[in-house]
Amino acid sequence: MFINKSMTRNVITIRGEAGLFEAKEKMELHNIRHLPVVTADHVLAGVITDRDIRSALPSAFTLHMHDPQEVEGIANLKVKDVMSKNPITISPMNTLGDALLLMNRARKGALPVVDKQGNLTGIISTSDVIRSFINVLGIEQPGTLLCILAEEKVGEMKKIVDAITEEGISFGSILVAKYGDEGKRAVYPYLLTNNVAGVKKKLESMGFTLLDPSEWSLDKFTER
Amino acid sequence: MKKTGFLYDERFLLHRTGPEHPESPARLLAIYRGIEEAGLLPRLTLMKAERARQEWIEAVHSVKLITRFEEACRLGLDILDNPDNKISSESFETALLAAGGVIGAVERVMKGELDNAFCAVRPPGHHAEVNKAMGFCFFNNVAIAARYLQNKWGVKRIGIVDFDVHHGNGTQAIFDDDPSVFYYSIHEHPSFAYPGTGREFEKGSGPGLGSTLNSPVLPGQGDLEYKESFENGLLPAFETFKPEVILVSAGFDAHVDDDMSDIHLSTDCFSWMMKQLVGMADQYSNGRVISVLEGGYSINRLPELTKNHIEILLGGKT
Repeated sequence: MFINKSMTRNVITIRGEAGLFEAKEKMELHNIRHLPVVTADHVLAGVITDRDIRSALPSAFTLHMHDPQEVEGIANLKVKDVMSKNPITISPMNTLGDALLLMNRARKGALPVVDKQGNLTGIISTSDVIRSFINVLGIEQPGTLLCILAEEKVGEMKKIVDAITEEGISFGSILVAKYGDEGKRAVYPYLLTNNVAGVKKKLESMGFTLLDPSEWSLDKFTER
Repeated sequence: MKKTGFLYDERFLLHRTGPEHPESPARLLAIYRGIEEAGLLPRLTLMKAERARQEWIEAVHSVKLITRFEEACRLGLDILDNPDNKISSESFETALLAAGGVIGAVERVMKGELDNAFCAVRPPGHHAEVNKAMGFCFFNNVAIAARYLQNKWGVKRIGIVDFDVHHGNGTQAIFDDDPSVFYYSIHEHPSFAYPGTGREFEKGSGPGLGSTLNSPVLPGQGDLEYKESFENGLLPAFETFKPEVILVSAGFDAHVDDDMSDIHLSTDCFSWMMKQLVGMADQYSNGRVISVLEGGYSINRLPELTKNHIEILLGGKT
C-alpha cells in the first residue's frame, strides 16, 4: 500500500540549467509528461511538465508575430524559468490512498516522491496507480464479475461470500460501492470461474437482487 | 447438396464433470438427438474419432500440461488447474479423441472427401492455453487443427471464427503473433463475462498485429450488434485476408435462452451467421469449413441450433 511499492524508481530527471528544448526532447524520448528538476546532489528543485513547455513556447502559428529579439529570448529559456518551483510532493511512506486523493484534489498527473532529506527517490504517476488498480481488481486473471444489490447492514456481505465459497469458487477481488441513496450497496465479486449460472440462481433464491449490467457503476454520481 | 461430415463419438460422453456442471455429456446427447430426429443422419458422412498423436497436441500445448493432465486422470483427481475444469479418469483420453476427431475431419476435407464438417466434440477447447486448462477446456481443438493445417498441409492463411459467447483467450494467445492465422471473435464484453479478455484493442502483436479482430458485445444486446459486426468487421477482414480454410469455434451459448450469458441472440441469427460463414468459405476457401463445438449449455436449444447449423453446412436450408 505504500508509495515506495508502486512508484517508478528510475526517475528521468533534468537540471534547472537545461534548455526547454532539451526538456521537450527528453519527454518525447521517454514518452512521459513530467520531469522532476533536481540539483547536482539530487535534491528536488521543481517539476516541469509538457504543458509548462507548451505554454512557454510560441506556437508555430504565431511565431511570425513575435519580433526576433523576443524569439531569441524564448530560445534561451531554461527549465528553471518555467518549472513549478514548489511542486506538490509525496513521501515514500505515504500510501496509495494518499496519492489517489492528493492527485485527484490537486489535479496532478504525477507527484515526485521525496524523502525526509528532500532527496528525490521516485515518482508516482497515473500509470503507476492504474497498474496497481488493475492488480487489485484482479481483471488480468480469467473470471466473471457479478453485481449484487445488498442492504447496508451487518452480515449481508458474509452471506454473499459464504454462498459463493460454498460453490467452491475463488475470488479475484470484491468491491463494494454505494448504490443510490436508499441504504443499499452494490457488491461486485470478481469470481475466478466461467461457471456462474448456478451461483447466480442461488443468490437470487436467497433474496438478493442481481443488478442488470446497465445499472452497474463504480462511480459516485457527482456533478462534473 | 454438399458433402458434410458429422463427427460424433459416444466416447466423448466419457469425460464426466459431475452432476452440477454445465459442460455435461447431456449436451452431446441433445445435439445428436436433434440431428437424428430431423432426419439428417442419412445425408451426412458420419465420422468416429481417432486419438490425436501427441505430436499434434504438442504443436500447441506444452508437454507439462499434457503430462499434468494425464497424471491427474491416472491419479483419479477431479479437477485440473482450476475448479472449473472438472475431470474424470477418462477425461485425458476423451480430450485426445476430441482433438484427434477434429484432425480427422480436417484431413478428409483437405483430401476432398468432404466439403465441410461439424465436429460435436467434448471437452471444448478455445479457452485452453499453451500451458493451462481453463474454462472447461483442456486441449485447444481448433488451435490444434490450425497447426495441423499449417504443418501437414502447408496452408498459408487460416481464418478462425469464434462465436462462442466467451472470448477464446487460448486461441487468441496461441496465434497472437502469427499473421497466417486470422482470429475473429464475437463475444459478451469482457467486463461482464468470462474470461475477461477480447477487448477491441487486442489486435495481435508483432508480425500478427492486425490479424486478431475482437468484437465485444454488451449484455442485453443481440442480433443487431452481431449482424453489424459480421457485416462491418468480419466480412471485410476476410475479403482482404482470403482464408484458404475456415475453422469455426461454434459455441451456442449466446442464445437468449442460454443462462451462461446475457447476450440475447435468436435462433435465426445463429443460422444467419452460419450462412455468412459458408458463403465466405464458398468465395475464398473452396467451401472448406470445419466447425467445432465449443460451449452452448441450453439442453432445450442445442438440438435446433445444431440441426440448423448442419443444414446450412449441407447447403440444404435457405
